[in-house]
Amino acid sequence: MAEFTASVYQNEFLADGGTDVQAIVSITCSGAGTAGQTSGGDAGEIIVIDTSGSMGRETMEGAKHAAITALGEIVDGTWFAIISGNGAAFLAYPPVRSGPGMVQMDSRTRAEASRAIGNLTSAGGTVISTWLDLTGTLFASVPQVTQRHALILTDGENNEPAEVLDAAIARATGYYQADCRGAGTDWKVSEIRRISQALLGTVDIIPEPAQMKEQFQAIMRESMSRGVADAQLRVWSPQGAKVNFVRQVLPSVDELTDRRVVVNDLTGGYPTGAWSDESRDYHVSVRLPAKAVGQEQLAARVQLVVGEEVKAQGLVKAKWSNDSNLTARIDAQVAHYTGQTELAQVIQEGLAAKAAGQEELATTKLGRAVQLAAETGNDEATSKLRKVVEVENAEAGTVRLKKAVAKADEMALDTASTKTTRVRK
Amino acid sequence: MTCAGCGATLEVGALFCENCGTKVGGALGGAVAPTTLDVPVTATDEDSPISVPTAINAKAVVVSAPQTKTCTECGGTVGAEGYCDQCGTKAATERDHFREHPAPWLAGVCDRGIVHSRNEDAMALWADPASTATTGRGVLVVCDGVSSSKDSHVASLAGARAARDVLRAPMPKGLGVPESIEGAAIKVFVSAAAAANTAVMANTAPSSESPASCTFVAATVDPVAGPVGASAAADPDVGPVAGAAPDSRWQIRYAVIGDSRAYWLPDGAEGVQLTTDDSMAQMLIAGGTPKAEAEAAPQAHAITKWLGRDSPDIVPVVGALVVDQPGWLLLCSDGLWNYASEPAAIVAQVTSAATTEPEALALALVDFAKASGGHDNITVAFARLDRAGLEIAAPDAAGSADEEREGHG
Repeated sequence: MAEFTASVYQNEFLADGGTDVQAIVSITCSGAGTAGQTSGGDAGEIIVIDTSGSMGRETMEGAKHAAITALGEIVDGTWFAIISGNGAAFLAYPPVRSGPGMVQMDSRTRAEASRAIGNLTSAGGTVISTWLDLTGTLFASVPQVTQRHALILTDGENNEPAEVLDAAIARATGYYQADCRGAGTDWKVSEIRRISQALLGTVDIIPEPAQMKEQFQAIMRESMSRGVADAQLRVWSPQGAKVNFVRQVLPSVDELTDRRVVVNDLTGGYPTGAWSDESRDYHVSVRLPAKAVGQEQLAARVQLVVGEEVKAQGLVKAKWSNDSNLTARIDAQVAHYTGQTELAQVIQEGLAAKAAGQEELATTKLGRAVQLAAETGNDEATSKLRKVVEVENAEAGTVRLKKAVAKADEMALDTASTKTTRVRK
Repeated sequence: MTCAGCGATLEVGALFCENCGTKVGGALGGAVAPTTLDVPVTATDEDSPISVPTAINAKAVVVSAPQTKTCTECGGTVGAEGYCDQCGTKAATERDHFREHPAPWLAGVCDRGIVHSRNEDAMALWADPASTATTGRGVLVVCDGVSSSKDSHVASLAGARAARDVLRAPMPKGLGVPESIEGAAIKVFVSAAAAANTAVMANTAPSSESPASCTFVAATVDPVAGPVGASAAADPDVGPVAGAAPDSRWQIRYAVIGDSRAYWLPDGAEGVQLTTDDSMAQMLIAGGTPKAEAEAAPQAHAITKWLGRDSPDIVPVVGALVVDQPGWLLLCSDGLWNYASEPAAIVAQVTSAATTEPEALALALVDFAKASGGHDNITVAFARLDRAGLEIAAPDAAGSADEEREGHG
């Protein structure tokens, strides 16, 4: 039985007239078990492989090999399907025309699916909205599947208007989760990140076909370890208060503020998807009407809810004081994650400016990123930044843009921008 | 089982203290002694010619404030953690604000004030269950926990209750001669302070680097029976008081350690501060510094005596007086007298409150201290000494208080 714990990191002291309370709520899950085996419903996995004409022979072979390896990670009994995606989406396995579009994994279906993957050939364009919609349709065809996860591989830019893709993302949001991977360097990070963030998954680049197998295996293993099918983060705030923002800040920065659903007048629910044995940190900011010095109040009650059961709760408090020794302190966790959130933002803005030829702005933004990565001890970001800029002084944030940068390195920096690290002890 | 945060009794299976919101089995950390008082305290043996202290078990008396369930700010429901489910306001916990009202003539209010985050003041009152407005025997104890130490809010309450339980035993008669009675009475107050000190130390975490400590002021009120004239024989501890009606006199005894105070405020007359602070300010005054200047000095509030593990001296200064005028006996912490140190300033507040109900009066003075800034915890306890009924004499209709003060050290 999965158990959750919550801890709150904050400086609850506000100066006279202070209104904004910041807190990091760290939620840890243990005993999650295996997907589809611990909760009421079954688990379902759909692998979507880009089969557009742009997939070269080597990439296609890498993708097939990776997908077959991923099948090996899917636990027997799990419902699954394989989609071949190009200008439209095709059900590559199971070979059915009506009824349930997924089958349960066993040695026979695994072998059949592997053969079906092996027979895939590449042709045509890339229309990802159709892939997303077919994925949703297949999940819907097996009602007992309640934990839905997809792995989507693409290699090229999406050939359709943004609003068409956005509409498809909206249809999938809240219904299934998806991890997205881009092969090579012809795909757009911002486009695929829109999908993965909405569908509570990850995005990353796979520069070389040989690296696909390992990535697919890791994604599927991770997905199978999520024994808690779905959980909601609930934030209660007092009457008259305003929730400034709610965002996940570990393991990656994900803005949740706009994904609030009303639970009751004072409580909002935010999606967190499925959980394995892991820790996630959330940054919550609440604006309160100021109270007199000496007063104390609850600023937020942050709960993790599975079904309708509250599994863990953290209390965010506010105490007004005129002791500046107490009120001036910024909590180390809050400071750290505020820095990491800004880091993600300046990396993305810096790369966008660079792509638009605004070198001065790009230099400023990426310089700030180098500074923040050093301050917050984000070594991955630091090493990825160093492939894009020459660092003159990390502490001061002075950098020069490198003349020749591998596109893959820029994309790797972009996809990794939202990944965060814990506070260094 | 009791709460490690405030000492309240916990319901079986409770996750949080209903009183203060402290999580059960967590929060404070370290070893905290149980706060249910089972401190052996001494009472005196009436039959013994010489008062020999004997050990009895004092029963812990539960503070009689109701459980707060409704938010005072918005009327919402107060949740299990002690915060309003609607507006989030922290509900005043029993420890933050409690009242005791053991008899119609004796009551007190102990309040967190405005600025401090918790209430480290404590109060314990007792009245003879058979007491009336005219025949009350009562006990008042106020302890002000020192905020620089960790467990002071638990320790001060334990100390106040322990002292009260010593003092509620009838005063010993000793050998029956005035010197012996006085000596025995002093001994009781010394025992009460010692019991309070033991309780404070019992509620100090052994590892604490800043052990819990508190001030101590206690008073007893005993009616002096018998008509005037006969009293010299009937009550050899009290001299005859000219012009007083029968049953109109009270013996007040008091003791102090630190800077909590006792005042006698006769109706319509000048009040007097009975106790002398053990404070830096008082040392300055003793050295010739004017009072107002001394009380405003930077270290004025530093106390020179206190109860607790690191106390240098736990023997209180004891005093007594007999009063024959209607009036108020007040015990308070510096949370009140910071805003009204001179007896006249307190009398002004008492007069403007215009009530003879002690709880209402104590509340009025707490509100006055809060309105003045509430920079410290506030405790105000009043005993109404008035045989004629619950009317305060108009200021112009009053005579002077006939007082007889005896200082003891």
